[in-house]
Amino acid sequence: MINEHLRNGLRAGAIFAIATIFLILIAFNVTAAQLLGKLLGNQSASSIFDLTPDMFNMLVFFGLVGFWAGGLGAKRTASDTWKLVFLAGVSTGLVFGALVAVFAYLVGMLNVAGIQMTAYLPLMLPASINQLLMGKSPAAGSLILLVVIFATGVLGALTARGFGRGAWRQSFSTWWGQRKGTLSQIPTVQRVQGNALTRYFFYGILLLLVFLLPLWIGQYWNYTLGTVGIYVLLGLGLNIVVGLAGLLDLGYVAFFAIGAYTVALLTAPTPHNLLWNFWIVLPIGIVLAATAGVLLGIPVLRMRGDYLAIVTLGFGEIIRILSKSDLLTNFSGGPKGVPNVGGPSLFGISFNDIGFVYLIMVAVLLIIFVTNRLQDSRVGRAWVAMREDETVAQAMGINTLRHKLLAFGIGAAFAGLGGAIFASRNQFTGPEDFNLMVSINVLCVVIVGGMGSIPGVIAGAFALKGLPEVLRELENYRVMFFGALLVVMMVLRPEGLIPSKRRRLEMREIAEEEGAEEVVKQARVGPPATASPPLNPGNIANISTSDEGGS
Amino acid sequence: MDKAVSQPVRTPLTTYRVIQISLGVIFSVYLVWRLYQVFIANPVYGPDTWMRFSFAGLILGSVYALIAIGYTLVYGILFMINFAHGDIMMLGAFGGYFVFEAFGAIKVGSAADPQLSLLNAHPVFSIIVAFLVGMIISAVSGYFLERIAYRPLRRAPRLVPLISAIGASIFLENAAQLLFGAQRRDFANPEILARGNGWPIQVGQGTVILTYTGVFTLVLSIIIMIILYMLVQRTKLGRAMRAVAENKQVAALMGVDVDRVISLTFIISGVLAGAAGVMWGIHLGLVYYFVGFIPGIKAFTAAVLGGIGNIPGAMVGGMFLGIVEALGPAILGISFQLKDVIAFVILVLILIFRPTGILGEVLSEDKV
Repeated sequence: MINEHLRNGLRAGAIFAIATIFLILIAFNVTAAQLLGKLLGNQSASSIFDLTPDMFNMLVFFGLVGFWAGGLGAKRTASDTWKLVFLAGVSTGLVFGALVAVFAYLVGMLNVAGIQMTAYLPLMLPASINQLLMGKSPAAGSLILLVVIFATGVLGALTARGFGRGAWRQSFSTWWGQRKGTLSQIPTVQRVQGNALTRYFFYGILLLLVFLLPLWIGQYWNYTLGTVGIYVLLGLGLNIVVGLAGLLDLGYVAFFAIGAYTVALLTAPTPHNLLWNFWIVLPIGIVLAATAGVLLGIPVLRMRGDYLAIVTLGFGEIIRILSKSDLLTNFSGGPKGVPNVGGPSLFGISFNDIGFVYLIMVAVLLIIFVTNRLQDSRVGRAWVAMREDETVAQAMGINTLRHKLLAFGIGAAFAGLGGAIFASRNQFTGPEDFNLMVSINVLCVVIVGGMGSIPGVIAGAFALKGLPEVLRELENYRVMFFGALLVVMMVLRPEGLIPSKRRRLEMREIAEEEGAEEVVKQARVGPPATASPPLNPGNIANISTSDEGGS
Repeated sequence: MDKAVSQPVRTPLTTYRVIQISLGVIFSVYLVWRLYQVFIANPVYGPDTWMRFSFAGLILGSVYALIAIGYTLVYGILFMINFAHGDIMMLGAFGGYFVFEAFGAIKVGSAADPQLSLLNAHPVFSIIVAFLVGMIISAVSGYFLERIAYRPLRRAPRLVPLISAIGASIFLENAAQLLFGAQRRDFANPEILARGNGWPIQVGQGTVILTYTGVFTLVLSIIIMIILYMLVQRTKLGRAMRAVAENKQVAALMGVDVDRVISLTFIISGVLAGAAGVMWGIHLGLVYYFVGFIPGIKAFTAAVLGGIGNIPGAMVGGMFLGIVEALGPAILGISFQLKDVIAFVILVLILIFRPTGILGEVLSEDKV
């Protein structure tokens, strides 16, 4: 038992230490300190310790990480005694603190010796090293780090013992369940809940609020809201391809680009001087994007899923490289792009920023409506069937190729709409607007929100495109966190934040099968012949969770 | 799924088949016409230029082949595209770069040249260390990549590990960008491998320089490929790998530790990617955070070209792709900016006409 706790603690400490050293190397501690300073505003507390607010906030950041490490390092089972948990916390905190302190000491000594690291590690500025050591000597500074991390690590472990795994969440959910139960017993509440009219009333109020919002929030936030809206459009389109039909499309940006370039080339004065009306061009862009989707789909959709991902990625890159190359400079403006793209106007009034937000909102509502109807239609059910098992779907008489093409075409059409609005809102279109990151961002929106779920996609767009605007300090780290987020989501919650019911069942089903297999495996191996505790269900659960933790 | 193509039985004439055949005819007629134009009707380039292109293509191809083997090994066992493989190569390239930088900074100063650095005093030693460090970094990151991002997902639907791999790739790229900065760095070779120097060869009217870095890259990658082939065909580990690729359950019943074999596969493909990364740096001389992306995709193309899951196929596919990419723009008479497009077009064409690749895919029933 002691060994197990010790090992667990040491491992958690080492993992957290490596991650933290990495974060220090990319100067994340400085950014986190700024962010915490903005959130807490604890300027007064810092003066007690004779530290600048930034340094104090950095210590708070390290303390929080240490607390988290301690909590994870302590193994939480019913048989844990305080002593064992304390031991685990001590080992976690000690390893974590010591490694970080040694690192800080080394970096500090190098800095004192006057060796510049910025040539190779551009973010290790002398100022940030100074902040890491709190303006003290390397020895003193790293000692403070050690003490803080050690103390919070032990505290974290003890807190974890005090509450047990997931105890807070559990007690909250039972409390909420009871509350909900008592609430829904009141007759008035029951009547209101059951009434369709009230539901529409609430939706109406919500809609009204959303429509009034752009008038209040000013230009910058309108722009942000518009960007989020365009990502909702793209996300809903990709949601049909990835979420409903189960085809991973990494070249989604190509259709976005086709929509944008169509509008740009037909309305802008420079390459062709066509100056068509936006409202005429918009459907052309959508149709062209959809056509491109179907045309790409014909050769590509017979491939296995993984091939499809790479080929679509290649297609997206081809579109970008072509639009950048000299070959098409006369046609599409080349690397300089197309400036002065025309905007829409209604009754002689051309759209300003508020108008564009409304345009995007209308488009989003329209697309939500279309997606919603599609989802439950024959076509939507065919897509879901295809995603779950293509062979069975085929046996049920679904023409899989046709439905795949349809999914590709509709998804591409949504992207074309998004691209058209995007180009005319920015009044510019260039090849660099359409790099791979756009495809990846949209994919993140769909996956984080929950594949196949409309509210999920909207939430995902707000979380991934809206939140970074609020937390501007994290701008540099955003893409890196997106990458990490994709991995973490896939490992911990593949169904997304707000999953569709069916998708959750699908994912859970697999997870349960896996769990069952684990149990069977453990049972087959059986208890060793010599003294070992009988294999009760609790033990099995412990074994399998510890196996998962180890992986 | 793609059975219809590979079966010897006469396939019914579907629309798809018609499209396939007509595209094939159009494409080959165009190719023949271009070849006629370039070589016979109005030759723009002399034999020395063609030689130069082929040599450049062969070298690039040998690096692609090394990376492609990594894709093929992993695909053969887990049936997933290790999307982050190119980025693992990038990490290896950075490893070699830092070794060269560090050794270049250490002055050992002899009587003749007080500024002599360790890099130039012991070039062979520095190159060996650079390769070792690059390989170790790539192998370790490959191992942890599998442990963190792929192992928990082994039983998940196929889309899930693929998305996780894409996430890992983005993470590695951007972590490297934050750590080392976004600027492109010059790979400081030791003087015996100075870029551009080489053996001049007389071809036609011109001279072609066989660069030292190029010959070094080509020879070393061929040696590594031979070692790998021996490893897979002749050793116990290789047999275990082939067994796991064939059928995991049965291999486990035969006493193969599947998890260990998968980990070792990632380590081996990491070693190859690390070597490829250092070679890339030595030969092409640039290293930055995005350096692995395009070679990664092209190496995947090479792996598909040779038949994914097939190790000799990956080697042949890599060489072939390198040469086609070097000669393609000249033959088709298009701008060299578009050479990346050629690789993608080849990928699409291969997947349309012969999804099993040149040498055929080594896949059993349940993998398709």
